Amino acid sequence: MTTKTTSARLAAGPRKGPRRRPSASSATQVGRPGFAWALPAAVFFALFAIVPLIMVAVLSFMSWDGLSSPEFVGTDNWSRLMDDPVMFQSIWLTLLLTVLGVVIQTPLSILLGVWAAGHQRNRAVLSVIYFIPLLLSATAVSVLWRALLDPNFGIPAEATWLFGDGNLFGEQATAIGVLAFVSTWQFTPFHTLIYQGAARAIPHVLYQAAEIDGAGRYRQFFHITLPQLRNAMITSMILMIVGGLTTFETVLILTQGGPGTDTTISAYYMYDKAFKSFDYGTGSAIALALVVAATIISLIVVRVSGYDKMRSTMEGSS
Amino acid sequence: MKTRARLPRLVACGATLALAVTLSACGGGGGGSSADDDKIHVLVYGDATNKVEKRIVDTFNKTSDVKVVLDTIPGADYQKKLQTIISTPQAPDVFFNWGGGSIKPFVKADLLLPLDDFIEKDPGLENNFLPSVFNNAVVDGKPYGIPMRGTQPVLLFHNKKVLDEAGVKPPKTWDELLDVVGKLKDAGVTPIALGGGDVWPTQMWFQYLYDRVAGPGLFEKAVGGDKSAWESADSKKALGMIRELVDAGAFGKNYDSVKYTNGGSVQLVSSGKAGFELMGSWYYSQQLTDHKAFAEKDLGYTAFPTVEGGKGDAANVAGNTNNYYSVMKKTKHPEAVAEFLKLMYSDDFVKAQLDIGNLPTTTNTDKFIDSSGTPEYSRFQYDLVADAPSFQLSWDQAYPQKASSDMHKAVQQFFNGQLDADGFIKAMQALPTE
Repeated sequence: MTTKTTSARLAAGPRKGPRRRPSASSATQVGRPGFAWALPAAVFFALFAIVPLIMVAVLSFMSWDGLSSPEFVGTDNWSRLMDDPVMFQSIWLTLLLTVLGVVIQTPLSILLGVWAAGHQRNRAVLSVIYFIPLLLSATAVSVLWRALLDPNFGIPAEATWLFGDGNLFGEQATAIGVLAFVSTWQFTPFHTLIYQGAARAIPHVLYQAAEIDGAGRYRQFFHITLPQLRNAMITSMILMIVGGLTTFETVLILTQGGPGTDTTISAYYMYDKAFKSFDYGTGSAIALALVVAATIISLIVVRVSGYDKMRSTMEGSS
Repeated sequence: MKTRARLPRLVACGATLALAVTLSACGGGGGGSSADDDKIHVLVYGDATNKVEKRIVDTFNKTSDVKVVLDTIPGADYQKKLQTIISTPQAPDVFFNWGGGSIKPFVKADLLLPLDDFIEKDPGLENNFLPSVFNNAVVDGKPYGIPMRGTQPVLLFHNKKVLDEAGVKPPKTWDELLDVVGKLKDAGVTPIALGGGDVWPTQMWFQYLYDRVAGPGLFEKAVGGDKSAWESADSKKALGMIRELVDAGAFGKNYDSVKYTNGGSVQLVSSGKAGFELMGSWYYSQQLTDHKAFAEKDLGYTAFPTVEGGKGDAANVAGNTNNYYSVMKKTKHPEAVAEFLKLMYSDDFVKAQLDIGNLPTTTNTDKFIDSSGTPEYSRFQYDLVADAPSFQLSWDQAYPQKASSDMHKAVQQFFNGQLDADGFIKAMQALPTE
């Protein structure tokens, strides 16, 4: 035990100090990367992200059906959205689905990830199976669950004790439940993977020390594993939030925003306005609002969590 | 060391330069159209019927100097893509549509060629088609489309076996329908299958009931911009009847979780779990594809029941009248287009459509029905459409495309009881009519 610990410490020890020097010297030799290095990426980013974003912003002040030439209407689209109950409902639904996603997926994927980081038998095989949903496209997943949850020929028809009449897509509460469930089913493997990687990176000595101090498995989990997973948790949650705010395919295929407007989340409402009702002005306004909201929320999460400082989890510094 | 540093920079600059060249090359892409000077582009909804369209195009190209090029877009994307390209240089010369509201915005934008001149030179372009169908592509008194596929009236289909077991007959009147609904419920089956998840099947019930109760005039007024039509007593009566039917449990409880497009409601009828389904005439070939044995033995069909005291003629039908070819004003070869459109009433065209189960709406269709694949069914449809004083185009096609999403929401919410009659009326009044 002791020899192992020392050797680990020895191996880890010298890493800190002299590591800087070679990288600094190589920098002076090669020269700092000039602007030319960033140019291709910058050009692509400008062309495919910045320019469209500006165009969408301009379009949000216009009325355009895709046929006639766009007409400048000032803030009409925006003021109409402000009075639109469906818009407010869509924001509320988007937030609800995002929160549901974070609340359900985080504990699940932490447990699965920590478990998958261990050395149990069959772990690798089971991990691969857990991973399968992520390999399917969201479209395929949605089509699959739409069929599986058919009230007359799917699972609800067999398990009436659980599903009642099986009208899952016909009522708001159950439709939202299905949407939350399907994204959980699809994206938990991804977050599990993040937590698995992070859990593997936790220095083993911490557990060994805890064991010597007589800490059991649960104490080890709550006092070592969870705190050490902090940064992974923030990364995963930001991805969940951004992903939640931009959810689209699942709604498009599973519910089409229905029944009525009961599951019309903001991204779907944007699509509905722009590409189904040919009201590109209003669609652009929603899109812009969504971009602003997602940016603000991400910034808040980054600030509140201290992700921008990214405290090190390296041995001894946590 | 210095040369090593310079190399990546050189590569990066080169890549950027290459990129810039590629991008500027993209901008000049419009020049390719000059090669198309002696061609007509025909844009069609991509599906199984394309094989007939290809055959017609081949026939035409054999004798014509100006060649037709057939472009197809998969069905689900057709409307969106069409709207995107129609006001650009990439627009086709001739394109597929549903008549009615689907071309109105294009007429308003002055993109379409009125076909008066064509018809003056060859009156057959009008006279060889059933008038009720031809008139559906007339906008502001001018014809803008030539019928080009088959008519799709909505019929009330049923499972003969289920009806026999419950001891009922297909209903001829509304009261009989309510009676049959009660009996089928007692027998433990869902009386009427409905793919409410798609919403447009739900809308079919509205179309027919409004037509039976108020006659075609009410909807004509409404779609023409007179929003007061929705507030009329007839409108409220039709809504009351729909409410009554839903509350009687005619559609069961979970219809909104069922879809037609994934075969759910189709299977409900074929498996004997439901008695009826209201659907377009394409239902027959759908059942034939999905459940062959059932379609050949137990699938029955009747017209929509009559409503006592209703103002609408009991022989009126609703559905998709037909599809149409419309011509763009900018086409360089109007003569060739006119020649091409004449093929839409040729014997060859009619035979080819009948062979794949479509029912063309030309006056010579009659001659060929008996030698078609499903003569009895074709005959029933043909007589129904030919004798119909009025053919109500599907509401979502009669209104401009941009209204369809909000219309579907209103229909679904009324059906589910989230909107009452007044709420539904308000929602319909808020729809754009042009």
